[in-house]
Amino acid sequence: MPEIRVLNLRKSFGTTTVLDGIGFTVHDKEFVTLLGPSGCGKTTTLMSIAGFQTPDEGVIAVGDEVFVDRRAGIDLPAERRNLGIVFQSYALWPHMTVAQNVAFPLSLRKVDKRAARERVAEVLDLVELGAHGGRYPHQLSGGQQQRVALARAIAYSPKVLLLDEPFSNLDAKLRERARDWLKHLQLSLGLTTVFVTHDRDEALAMSDRVLVMNNGRVLRDGTAEEVYHEPRARFVAQFLGRCNFLTGRVESGPDGTSLLRTPAFPEGIVVAGAHPGPEATAAVRPHAVELLGPDADGVEASVLEAAFLGDHYRYLVRIGEYRIEAHAPHRIASGPARLRIPPGAAVFVD
Amino acid sequence: MTAMVTTLEIPAAARRPRAPAALGQALVSVLVVGLVAGPFIPLVYSSFRSKPVYLPGGVFSLGGYRTLFADPAYWTAVRNTLLFAVGTTVLAVAGGTLLAILCTRTNMPGRRAYGLLLMAPVVIPPLGLIVGWTAIYGQGGYLTQLLSRNLHLPVWNLASIPGMTAFGTVVTLPVAYLTVRASLSGTDASLEDAARSAGAGLLAVVRRITIPMLRPAILNCGILIFALCLEILGIPLFLGGPSNIDFYASYLYRSWNQGGTPDPPFVSAGAVLLLVVVSLLLVVRARLSGAEQRFVAVGPRGGGARRPLDLGRWRRPASACVGAFLTVTCLIPLLGLVLMSFVRVLTTLVAPWHLVTSDNWHAVATDPALRRSITHSLLIAAGGGAVSVALVAVAALIAHRSRFPLRRLIAPALIYPRAVPGVILGIGFFWTYLMFTPGALVRNNLWGEAIALCVRNLTLAYVVIQPSLTRIGEELDRAARAAGAGWWHIARRVLLPLLRPALLAAFVLMFITLLGDYDPVVFLQKPGTEILGVTMLQYWSTGVQGPVAALAVLQVVLVAVVLGLGARALRRVTVADA
Repeated sequence: MPEIRVLNLRKSFGTTTVLDGIGFTVHDKEFVTLLGPSGCGKTTTLMSIAGFQTPDEGVIAVGDEVFVDRRAGIDLPAERRNLGIVFQSYALWPHMTVAQNVAFPLSLRKVDKRAARERVAEVLDLVELGAHGGRYPHQLSGGQQQRVALARAIAYSPKVLLLDEPFSNLDAKLRERARDWLKHLQLSLGLTTVFVTHDRDEALAMSDRVLVMNNGRVLRDGTAEEVYHEPRARFVAQFLGRCNFLTGRVESGPDGTSLLRTPAFPEGIVVAGAHPGPEATAAVRPHAVELLGPDADGVEASVLEAAFLGDHYRYLVRIGEYRIEAHAPHRIASGPARLRIPPGAAVFVD
Repeated sequence: MTAMVTTLEIPAAARRPRAPAALGQALVSVLVVGLVAGPFIPLVYSSFRSKPVYLPGGVFSLGGYRTLFADPAYWTAVRNTLLFAVGTTVLAVAGGTLLAILCTRTNMPGRRAYGLLLMAPVVIPPLGLIVGWTAIYGQGGYLTQLLSRNLHLPVWNLASIPGMTAFGTVVTLPVAYLTVRASLSGTDASLEDAARSAGAGLLAVVRRITIPMLRPAILNCGILIFALCLEILGIPLFLGGPSNIDFYASYLYRSWNQGGTPDPPFVSAGAVLLLVVVSLLLVVRARLSGAEQRFVAVGPRGGGARRPLDLGRWRRPASACVGAFLTVTCLIPLLGLVLMSFVRVLTTLVAPWHLVTSDNWHAVATDPALRRSITHSLLIAAGGGAVSVALVAVAALIAHRSRFPLRRLIAPALIYPRAVPGVILGIGFFWTYLMFTPGALVRNNLWGEAIALCVRNLTLAYVVIQPSLTRIGEELDRAARAAGAGWWHIARRVLLPLLRPALLAAFVLMFITLLGDYDPVVFLQKPGTEILGVTMLQYWSTGVQGPVAALAVLQVVLVAVVLGLGARALRRVTVADA
């Protein structure tokens, strides 16, 4: 299977810029997620690959085939791109049965009738809907509809699978199951996949690589761990989970680390890596903050609020006039406490 | 911090006068249902009498039906009507569907402007368009003469069934266009995108996805257009006149006026039969639209501006064809209408500027009957429109936002008057006014005609108001009720103010329609109570064409002015609400 190359996509609607120089590559058999808030340009990017939006500038190619090259005047119609796509609404044709929906792309490709029937049965079995071929879409549950949409998308073994928020119409429990199931299918079929979502859990759990987008740009491109632990941009850190931001003066520390002195931590926090400027901001995840009893080591603090969330407690802690969020597995009484940020827990962001 | 204690004295419960709400609701309901159902009772009754009800000595009899079935002219009219209805329905549905797809789903140049212009036949007063067509394409029409007399080419005959079918198609095409367009904009465009991703080209998408999904809409508007065709009166009277081709409605109209005894029972019998057929068609239509659940696309609607279907090199030809269609069917006839109102006679033998005259307009300004018909029509349009909208608004609130026991009768009562042929409603009102004493009060003055026209068009106000009402969440009523408001209070302070844009739109639509409508009053008009449509019909049948054209131009201008004012007022109301 081929790789997808997207180069410098730009698009504006009137005065609003939707895509501001998007570029990335999806390698063969890779599962890449475009993650971002609504309006960040992720769906526009996906629809540009599919051929339902035309970028103002840029190049999109899959393998050796150029889909879009605005300079060269190339813009392949959607129907000749041979992609599989699952829409947010599933877009199942209501006047066709499940089997007819899945067979449609095959009949367009003049697949022999019996072969098509076999392939439809095979694909429906794959999505565990073998017994439902004769039903109409409205007779299926949301989860089943979503699987029919997927079956239709992979029926003719397309080069690439595009998924536009396929889980957003499912309830929370079903969503988790569908997620595991889709990932499994993608791995076993070896599909090159682009997935669009605004749900960080989906993105982290399923992707080989995550591209975090905002305002029509890709802010961070990396594996789920990289993106989560080294967000680099403040927006990325925030979008992927709760985060404390500490701003202060930077000094160089031992072994290529830096020391960040902030008003709440006058002794300084050890941050990995060097920072060029004299001032900097570091991000610390609440679960990396160590919250201890009043007799332990650390900065003097006071616990203002506590909330029990099942697998951990969430605390709002005051240090001087600053507030910090900390997560801990154990219960700590309100009132005086000590707080520590261990070396390596904080990372620089812009 | 100390707690604030309010010193205002608030009664535990708002005073809620219970009885008046139910009483008012009852009055409005009885009024609406009575006005609509009333005319049909005397109609059915009179069809089963041996003599017109105003003559003494009538008994129960099927004679009316026997006379009707024995009249060969009746069967000819039935056959003509069916031929016309089938042809018109097929052409209008096919054309309307094609145009709706072109204007909403493809990249045809000018599709937005065309989308608006295609609705022109809805707002142009019906008689104006007919007169315009006659002036241009009729037997003595300008283009017909030009081609046959001056260029010796074979020409069409507008006064034939195919000719009238062509015109019928133009008039009913907007119905199909609007229905299909609404269905298209209600379906998820990603259904078509999905097909293209699967590899389907333009034609495959349209043939295998778009059109099959439109089946319910196509069937629905097909039945509606067919029912409209059965009752059409203006086309056979104006266009079929020269060749004596009668349709069902025009057969009833002529028999009514020309028979030995005026108002014979067999006309009522014919009206009752047509009423039954049309009502059955509407029941079938309601059943069908209920059974088409599987055609409702699942999931939310796809957002964002999608790329439309690409027509490729057919873009410009398609656009040119639609433009030509609009020019031929609307623009040229309208120009012809204006021209006709300024010349003594429209002919290709003499250049029009040698025949310029202001006589037609002079007649409109001075002839007392013509002047009266303008004043009367404006009075009915403005006053009747306002009263109808007010009545329908309250009735709709009772139907959908009250617990009044008989509320379920109201919605059907509001739909029915427009669903039955206007001529039939007119005959019904004629008998009602004749047989009941309160009817006598309005029989010989403008009130009778105003009531018939308004009742006939109540439906239009309802179809504008009802969807807006459904969009107002019921939590708003509940919140007001929780705050202590009674029903009338909620209606007056919450719902009616929120409905303002819809009420305005309903009034504009009522005004335009009442100005042009005439079907229900052709049997009611008497000297001194003229209205525009009937006057035009009567003048036209005596061969007076110039002043009729002038009146038609006047109607078109009035409609344009009211539409413009209405659009401006609607913008202001909507901005004020936003």
